[in-house]
Amino acid sequence: MLGNILKIIDRDGYISRPMLSRELGFPEEVVNDGITQLLRMGYISEEKTGEDCSSFCSGCQFAKNCSKEIVNFFKISDKGLGFLKGR
Amino acid sequence: MGNGTIALVGNPNSGKTTFFNALTGSNQYVGNWPGVTVEKKEGRFKFKGKEYHVVDLPGTYSLGAFSEDEIVARDYILTGDADIIIDVVDASNIERNLYLTTQLLEMGKKIVVALNMVDEARKRDIKFDIEGLSKKLGVPVIPTVASKEKGIKNIIQAAVDMINTDMIVENPLQYNETIEHHICHIEEALKGEDLPYPSRWTALKVVEGDEEILKALRASGLNKDPMQYIDNFYKYHSSENFELEIIDTRYAFAHRIAEGTVQRPEIEVVTLTDKIDKIITNKYLGIPIFALIMLVVFQLTFEIGEDVLGEGAVSLIEGFGGLMESFLISMSAPDWLISFMIDGVINGVGAVVEFVPIITVLYLLLGFLEDSGYMARAAYVWDDLMRRLGLQGKAFISMIIGFGCNVPGIMSARTLDNKKDRMITTLINPFMSCGAKLPIYSVFIAAFFPRYGGLILFSLYALGIILGLIMAKILSKTLFKGESSYFIMEFPPYRMPTLKNVLRNMWDNVYGFLKRAGTIIFVVITLLWVIAVLPASADPYSEFSILGRIGTFISPVFKLAGFNNWQASVALFAGIPAKEAVVGTLGMLYAGQYVEEGAMLVNAIQHNFTSLTALSYMVMTLLYTPCAATLGIVGKETKSIKWPVFMAFYTFAMGLAAAIIVFQVGSLLGFS
Repeated sequence: MLGNILKIIDRDGYISRPMLSRELGFPEEVVNDGITQLLRMGYISEEKTGEDCSSFCSGCQFAKNCSKEIVNFFKISDKGLGFLKGR
Repeated sequence: MGNGTIALVGNPNSGKTTFFNALTGSNQYVGNWPGVTVEKKEGRFKFKGKEYHVVDLPGTYSLGAFSEDEIVARDYILTGDADIIIDVVDASNIERNLYLTTQLLEMGKKIVVALNMVDEARKRDIKFDIEGLSKKLGVPVIPTVASKEKGIKNIIQAAVDMINTDMIVENPLQYNETIEHHICHIEEALKGEDLPYPSRWTALKVVEGDEEILKALRASGLNKDPMQYIDNFYKYHSSENFELEIIDTRYAFAHRIAEGTVQRPEIEVVTLTDKIDKIITNKYLGIPIFALIMLVVFQLTFEIGEDVLGEGAVSLIEGFGGLMESFLISMSAPDWLISFMIDGVINGVGAVVEFVPIITVLYLLLGFLEDSGYMARAAYVWDDLMRRLGLQGKAFISMIIGFGCNVPGIMSARTLDNKKDRMITTLINPFMSCGAKLPIYSVFIAAFFPRYGGLILFSLYALGIILGLIMAKILSKTLFKGESSYFIMEFPPYRMPTLKNVLRNMWDNVYGFLKRAGTIIFVVITLLWVIAVLPASADPYSEFSILGRIGTFISPVFKLAGFNNWQASVALFAGIPAKEAVVGTLGMLYAGQYVEEGAMLVNAIQHNFTSLTALSYMVMTLLYTPCAATLGIVGKETKSIKWPVFMAFYTFAMGLAAAIIVFQVGSLLGFS
C-alpha cells in the first residue's frame, strides 16, 4: 500500500485521501496512517504554506492572515523519488 | 501476581479504557511507568473466585519506537510479566486496528482479540465473520461492548483459558525473500546471545532499522561478531527500503484478514466529489472555471456590498458628519477644527470607512470558497501554468493571501524552500490587488461603471495576475534562473463552509481594514490636511496650498496617462503609506474644493475624471509602488535595501506604463 500511495501521488500530482482509499481498496483511516508512515520514514515531507506568526508578532494586524494554511503541501523526497525509480 | 496478569493493548479510542473500567470497577490505581511520564494504570478483578491483575497499556496505533507510549507498550509486552494480552480492537475501524494486532502476533505472545464496540459497527451495517477472523488470526476473537459490559465474561474466560494452555501463537507473517533472508542471517548471527527480546523479532527489528532495539542490543553487551554483522548489514543495505516493505507487508496482511471476514456496505466507486473534481481540475477547464467563479464573486461583491449595503454606509457616515458639524458649531468651535473634523476626518477617513460593506462581502465570499475546499483545487489548476512560467503552485497560495494583504502574502513566501521561488513570489506579490485598493476601485466604478462593477473588478484582479505571471517569467529568465521545486497538494474533501470559519476570516480582514483606517490613514489624512490648508494666505485645498504646489509639481508625470490633475497625483503618493489613503485624500481634497455640502465623493470623481482616465487611474493604482508596510517587509525578508527600492521603482514604472497604454490606446480607439 505504501509504495502504491507514493506511486499514485507522483502520478496525479495531488493527494486526495478518499480517492487513494477507493483506488487502493483500503479504508481512509488506513490510508491516513500510510501517509503518516511515509512522512515519518522521510519518503514524503509536509511543507508549510503559512508562517506561524502567533508567537513573535501576535500584535501585528496581519498575523492572522499570515499563518493561514489554505492548502496542505507535500513533497516527494529524494528517498521517495529513489524508491519510485527502483520500482 | 494473583492467578495471572492481563495486559490491555489497543488503538486510542478503541474503548480500551472503558474496557479496563468494566474489568476492574473501582479496584484500580494509577502510577507512572519508570523513567517516563506515561501514566500506568493497573487494577484487579475476580473471576470464578480467582484474582487477576490487569495492566492498561498506553493507547497506540503501532508498536514501533516513535513515541514513549509505543516504547512503553512494546517493552512491557516483550519483557513484562503479562501472561496474556487482550487486544482491544475497534470493530468499526477493524482494518486499521489489525495493524497493531499484526505486530502483536509477530511478538509471539498469547493474545485474545476483543472485537469491541460491535454494536456501533452493526449500526453502520458492518458485518463480521467472527469464526473466520479467529481462524485467520489464529487466536480467539470475542465480540464485546465494553460500555454495556457485554461480552466481558466471555473474553475473560477466553483469556483465562489461554493462560492455562501451553498453546504457542504462530507468527503468520512472511516477508519477501530478501527480507526473510536477512532476518534469517541476523537471527543466526545472534544465536547464543543473551537477548532481551525474542530472536526472530529482534532480527526483524534490526532489518526494519529500529534504533531503540539497536540501542538495547548494544546495551545488552552483545559479542563483537554479531554486532559487527549488524553494522555491516547497515553499511551495505542502508539505501534499501526494507522498513517500507515490512510495514507494507503488515498492512497487506491486515487487509487480507479483513477481506472475507468483514463486510462493509458498498461505497460508491465514483462519488460526486470525484465527478466535480474531474471537471474543476481539468487541464483546459480548470482556469476558465476559476475565472468564472471569481467573476461571480466580484459581481456579488458589488451587487450586495455596494448596491444593497453601500448606501447605508454612506448615509451613516454623512449622518455622522452632519451631527458632528452641528455639534461643533453649537459649541462655537473654531473654523479650523470644524474644517479638520469635517473635511479631514469625515470626508477623508470616512470616505475609506464607507467601503467596509464591500470589503465585508468580498472576504465573506472568499472565506466561503476557502472553507469549501475549492482553493486547494484552484492552486492545483494553476500549478501547471505556474511551473511553465518558472514558478510553483505553492506560490499561488502567496498570491491568494496577497489578495487580502501583500504583507502576509510576501511573508508566506518564506516557506518556499528555494531562493529563486521565494524572490520571484515576493517581487510579483504587489500585483495581487490587496483589499486596501478595493475602495479606490469601488469609488471609480461607482462613478463611471456602476452596471459593470463585477466585470471591471474582475478585470483588474485578472490584469494583476497576468502581469504578475509575465513578470515571473521574465524574472525567472533573467535575475533568478534555476529549477523550481515540485510540490504535491492535498485536496481536502469538499465541505459545507462553517459560519464560524467564514465569519472569522471576514472579521480578520475587516478588522485589519478598520484598524488601518483608525491609525495610519488617520495620521496620513491629518498630515495632508495640514499642508492642504497652509499657508494661511492661500485658499485651503487649492493649488496654491503646500499640498497643491507639490501636486502641481508632480502631476505632469501622469500627463500621458490622462489624469494629471494635482489632487489625483497627490492621492497616489498619499497611497504609499497606505493604499486606503488614496480615497481618503481624494475625499478630503475634492470635498474641500469641488463638492457641495452633502454631495458624495463619487460626484467629485465624475467632475474630475472621464471613463477612460478613471480606467487608467485604476490600472495605475493596481500596479504602482506598494504600500510602505509591503516595502518594509520586502526589506526585512530579503535582508536588503536593494529589493524594496527595486520593487518601488519597477512597480511604479509598470503602473505608469500600463496606465499610459490604457489611456493612449483608449484615446486612439475613440474612447473618452
